[in-house]
Amino acid sequence: MAAFPYYGTADIEALNAQAVRLLALFGDKGYRREEPSVLQPADIFLDRSGEEIRRRTFTLTDPTGRDLALRPDLTIPICREAVRSGRDFPARISYNGLVFRHQPGEPQRPTQFFQAGVELLGIADRAAGDTEILSLAIEALRTCGLNDFSLRIGDLALFGALVDALALPRQWRFRLKRHFWRAGYVESLLFWLGHGESARLPGTRAEVEALLDAQGEAPLAGRTREDIIARTLDRAAEAKSLKLDPVVADAVAKLLDISGPADQAMAQVRGLLKAANISLDAQLAAMDARLATLKALGVDPARVQFTAHFGRNMEYYTGFVFEMWAKDKEGPVQIAGGGRYDTLLETLGAKSPVSAIGCAIRTERLLAVKGA
Amino acid sequence: MLTLAIPSKGRLKEKCDEMFAAAGLEIRQTNARGYRAAFSGMADIEIMLLSAGEIASSLLAGDIHLGVTGEDLLREEAPELAGRMHLVKPLGFGFADVVVAVSDAWIDVSTMADLDDVSAGYAHRNRRRLRVATKYAQLTRQFFAQNRISDYRIVPSAGATEGAPAAGLAEVIVDITTSGATLRGNHLKVLEDGVILKSQAQLAASLTADWDEGARAACARLLDRLGADYPALAAQVAAA
Repeated sequence: MAAFPYYGTADIEALNAQAVRLLALFGDKGYRREEPSVLQPADIFLDRSGEEIRRRTFTLTDPTGRDLALRPDLTIPICREAVRSGRDFPARISYNGLVFRHQPGEPQRPTQFFQAGVELLGIADRAAGDTEILSLAIEALRTCGLNDFSLRIGDLALFGALVDALALPRQWRFRLKRHFWRAGYVESLLFWLGHGESARLPGTRAEVEALLDAQGEAPLAGRTREDIIARTLDRAAEAKSLKLDPVVADAVAKLLDISGPADQAMAQVRGLLKAANISLDAQLAAMDARLATLKALGVDPARVQFTAHFGRNMEYYTGFVFEMWAKDKEGPVQIAGGGRYDTLLETLGAKSPVSAIGCAIRTERLLAVKGA
Repeated sequence: MLTLAIPSKGRLKEKCDEMFAAAGLEIRQTNARGYRAAFSGMADIEIMLLSAGEIASSLLAGDIHLGVTGEDLLREEAPELAGRMHLVKPLGFGFADVVVAVSDAWIDVSTMADLDDVSAGYAHRNRRRLRVATKYAQLTRQFFAQNRISDYRIVPSAGATEGAPAAGLAEVIVDITTSGATLRGNHLKVLEDGVILKSQAQLAASLTADWDEGARAACARLLDRLGADYPALAAQVAAA
């Protein structure tokens, strides 16, 4: 695929025919097609999305100096419109359109490609939402004639619940979750929590004030004296309570390493949680239900891979995540990806939490793997 | 004809002249106003004297083949060097670090993780983002993104960046420092993990310039005199 693809007659006709089939399937399931503009205000992508999307977004400035972006996905503009227009939930929306991605360090990869996808917004029963989207994604590939594919799955909520179950100060639990995406970073934090010594910081208010006074003419630089003092005291208090049972810290780090066929991997997860005396029954039951859905759909369990840290660095996802892979002439390629993003609509301005799960299919790749 | 750009003034120019002298290359000016020069006995190399910033942008544009300038400027001009520029040789002078610095009064901030916490809190409380004054907008964006910091905005600074926090123009700065004395004089401290780039002068080649046979031959001879690796550059040029 060229960096600037040119679609010949046969290519575009095949792509259109496939899109018609996909949109018809989505329509049958109650998903109505919508289409945001290609050019979007840049802020929502730069402020709201994960690092992976941010560094791959094409931005430009219009003649009045406003920052714009070529849409790097359709999920964010669709969700923003859902919030802006105050639509009723649940909402089932489908789309098929071009997205634009800068490919850092890989100048031969396409800078634009088609995505067909669905968004299921505001459904109260999350487990039902997971089943609906996962089933629809599999049916979509099969409708287009692809039966030979494998799955990678993960659940970001599993890690979140795990961190919440640890005896750590709130700020630190928040930090671990916020930095989950940084491969290696969380593991080193955990090691430090389990084995390190806490930092030495002044502990009393008088000591902190004296230290601040000793900085002479140094500017407060936009902050108040009280803010600096309060945060220093918080940090000192935290440092004292920052201690994690090394057994627990090791178990969590090991858990993050688990990857393999889903049935075996989940058994390993259960074993480690038991050793650390942490119970995450709700999250484990949710994963079991998804695996049961896949089995009922006739997906070979040996081709479902569970990876505990999967979902790191993946946009705005908050829970269940999945990818579908197949082989083209050059090797494995990702055909589809999706997952749960339950906080996105709130960050886009929704007044209360709106559950959300969706999936996008790389339609050009889907065509290519069938030709392979 | 090979075009080589060297700094027209300052410390970098002096060090550059010393380097060529040590390699037995004598520079003579070829026009009175002093922005063109040549090496004695190497007629197929044209030397241009430009500012360090112009050298970086001319390399990126492919207007010159080779240039001597600071790595900080090269990386700011082209955050992804691959396919656009090749760093031929670090020259061992012009050492300086591009760093993130905050006020000494921020006694609770010593790492990028602290800055992350403070910037998130600042944006929440003040309904505007922490301002970072810098002339390195690209390097700053990249580094802050790596550190997962998004609650900030960049205030372009043309000079005297170190004065921005005291003047109330920004809360944080990203600036270049050699000894740290200027930062200390302005009551600023570098964050422990806030070194964005350890920079030095580089002999750099443009991969988008027109590398005809004459330019390649002249370059091979020049790099040989400077003890630099020509085959590595030739491979990059061929691949570009």
